[in-house]
Amino acid sequence: MKSRNGGGTIHRPLVAVVDDDESVRESLPDLLGEFGFGAGVFASAEEFLASNSVSQTKCLVLDIAMPGMTGLDLQQELKVRGHKIPIVFITAQKDETVRKRALEGGAVGVLLKPFSDTALLKALNAALGLD
Amino acid sequence: MAVQPESSAEEIQRLRRCINDLVSVLGLPATWAGSEPSRIVGDLLAALLNMLSLDFVYARLRDPADTDLELVRTASEWEPKPRAQTISEILKPWLGSDTQNWLHPVRSTFKGREMSVVPLQLGVQGEMGIVIAGSKRDDFPQQTERLILSVAANQAAIGLQEANLLSSQRRLASDLDRQVAQRTSELAATNEQLRKEIAERKSVEERLRKEETELKRSEAHKAAILNSSLDCIVATDHEGCITEFNPAAERTFGYNKQDVVGKHLADVLIPPSLREKHCAGFARYLATGKSQVLGRRIEMTALCADGREIPVEIAITRILQDGPPSFTGYLRDITERKRNEDALLETHAKLARSEERWRSVFENSAIGVALTDLNGRFIAANPVFQKMLGYTEPELKQFSFIDITVEEDRNLNWVLIKELLEGKRRQFQIEKQYRRKNGSTVWVRNSVSVVPGTEQLPGFLMALSEDVTERRIAEEALNETRSELAHMARVTTLSTLTASIAHEVNQPLSGIVTNASTCLRMLDANPPNVEGARETARRTIRDGNRASEVITRLRALFSKKNATFEVFDLNEAAKEVVALSVSELQRNRVILQSNLAADLPSVLGDRIQIQQVILNLIRNGSDAMSIVDDRPRELLIKTECDEGGGVRLSVKDLGVGIDSEIEEKLFETFYTTKGDGMGIGLSVSRSIVERHQGRLWAIRNEGPGATFIFCIPSSTNT
Repeated sequence: MKSRNGGGTIHRPLVAVVDDDESVRESLPDLLGEFGFGAGVFASAEEFLASNSVSQTKCLVLDIAMPGMTGLDLQQELKVRGHKIPIVFITAQKDETVRKRALEGGAVGVLLKPFSDTALLKALNAALGLD
Repeated sequence: MAVQPESSAEEIQRLRRCINDLVSVLGLPATWAGSEPSRIVGDLLAALLNMLSLDFVYARLRDPADTDLELVRTASEWEPKPRAQTISEILKPWLGSDTQNWLHPVRSTFKGREMSVVPLQLGVQGEMGIVIAGSKRDDFPQQTERLILSVAANQAAIGLQEANLLSSQRRLASDLDRQVAQRTSELAATNEQLRKEIAERKSVEERLRKEETELKRSEAHKAAILNSSLDCIVATDHEGCITEFNPAAERTFGYNKQDVVGKHLADVLIPPSLREKHCAGFARYLATGKSQVLGRRIEMTALCADGREIPVEIAITRILQDGPPSFTGYLRDITERKRNEDALLETHAKLARSEERWRSVFENSAIGVALTDLNGRFIAANPVFQKMLGYTEPELKQFSFIDITVEEDRNLNWVLIKELLEGKRRQFQIEKQYRRKNGSTVWVRNSVSVVPGTEQLPGFLMALSEDVTERRIAEEALNETRSELAHMARVTTLSTLTASIAHEVNQPLSGIVTNASTCLRMLDANPPNVEGARETARRTIRDGNRASEVITRLRALFSKKNATFEVFDLNEAAKEVVALSVSELQRNRVILQSNLAADLPSVLGDRIQIQQVILNLIRNGSDAMSIVDDRPRELLIKTECDEGGGVRLSVKDLGVGIDSEIEEKLFETFYTTKGDGMGIGLSVSRSIVERHQGRLWAIRNEGPGATFIFCIPSSTNT
């Protein structure tokens, strides 16, 4: 896990970003920091599962289409493992079936890239029960 | 004359006159020589009337054969002149009816005046006739007058006698002449008759002689003919017995003449089976004169001495002669001819059968057959061909095939025909359009060959002509469908691409939006985080450039709708496709590896179309591995130089592989093994590659899966 905000932000709830796209991994932690969240970034679902951040993660910002394990796979896997982490899906492809499956699987929201900062904030607040 | 002699001087005068008269009378006969009796008597009467001063003088000449000749002369005072018969009637009462008795002078009254008439007999007994002189004078006749009268009568008698004699002589001479002439003509006639008879006899003799010669010659001729004739000559008498049997007959039938002459023909030459018929026919002829064989050339079977039966041709003639008929038969052994005829018939029949067969093939052929001369003019056309063109055969014969070929096909057609005639090719195929009689066109596939000429038959062209209009229409429809499909494939590919491109674009866009938002928030903070804002602004620019690149690629895909050939680098094109496909492949959990040859020559072609092919192959390989879970879903894209100077690109998957059963069908349009596929990808790909003079094929891998390969020429090798 890469943490952009360092150790001084422990009080901040941790939001994990799992996306194979580098630009997302680069840009999102800064925005999350501006929102007041702690951020962890992972290039794949496997990497996230292998990390020790899973239990501390309060919310997951998860890409759907990724090589290897997809976002939906990870959602299932976490459920199987008993981790009830609220998930905000982000995707570059508009696909109703996938969106429907994601929401049925318990997702808080599905954001279509590119999404606005307010839309993300709204989803995160909903996920963390802050609104 | 004085009535009365008064004096001696008068007397002397009177006497002198009398003597003069006598001399005159005596001289009369001299003037009568050769004269007719009528003239003699006429002259006498005129002389007496004048000398004796008579009133009239009448004469009657006896003619035993005819009526008596009467003449009269009267003195000039007698008017009208009386006719001799009138005088005769007057004299009759005076002299009696019998003029033989009129001998004496009579004095009587005549018209109131005394008239003396003196009859004078002509001839001794008056047998020549009578002359009667009359005068009114009383002294008539005086003595001198009597003398003159009697002398005159005498002289007249002499004259008449001479005249009679002369006449008789003349008559005799004439009779003689006539008799001589008659006799002469009789003799001449007889002579002519004789001459004719002689001539006739001669001619008859001549004819007989000629006939004899002719007969001799004819006999010699006949013998010569009989002996030398190649035909068998057999003669029979009216009973059918053989009278002549020539050497040819001996040779042919194997009999000796002396053995068969006298025998019945039926027993010698007629086969037993035909004898009854022959005898019946012969009998009928003798009875009725009707024959079925006489004078005709017929064929029949003849019997030889050795028992063989041979076919012969026979002509029988009846010999014209008196008496019972006889016959000559001319026979010819036609065994050889028959054999030849049979062979000929068989050959003919074979030819006819062959001809019939070919004719039947020609007529019943399911495809059109047309024959033309070497100029292309139609000689014959079968029903299918006629029906195809709508022309009858006679109508076609007025055209050359070029006439009914549509304008745009003529040049190529002529070139091919020329090559055919020049021997550059044995045959050729051409698909072209004919113009029908009704103006419409028909597509035909023609196989044309030249049939070389023989001695009997000049060379000709043969065209087997198949109506392919329907096929052409279907092909055109198919081509249309193909291009529609290609378009559809392109659109489908593009929409898929659009989706992945949207993904590609949306990723950097997402980064841009996020970075920009962060940047604004950093700048809005109190104090503003300028360093963080600068960093996020820099990332925004970078992501913007990324997005721009993707959009450029996308624009290229949409803008180049038509095939545009250009020189391009296949590796670069492949990399673009890989870049476009990567997210989709990731979604399908396919690991794509590239192995692109560094020194690959550039190629010439439609970059986008080739990229579509590459994309198709990648998607295909990806799809083939969609149900594979027991091994990695690996896809290897590889470029390399081809041995033939071209460039080769292959896409190797570890998928389900290719069943040998479907291998052939892989590239067929609409063939698909995918439930949701349209089956146009590979067929369109193949047609694109072939348009680039390349080829596309598939092979089964050593391990699992298949490899699809295409090869196109390099730009330097195109």
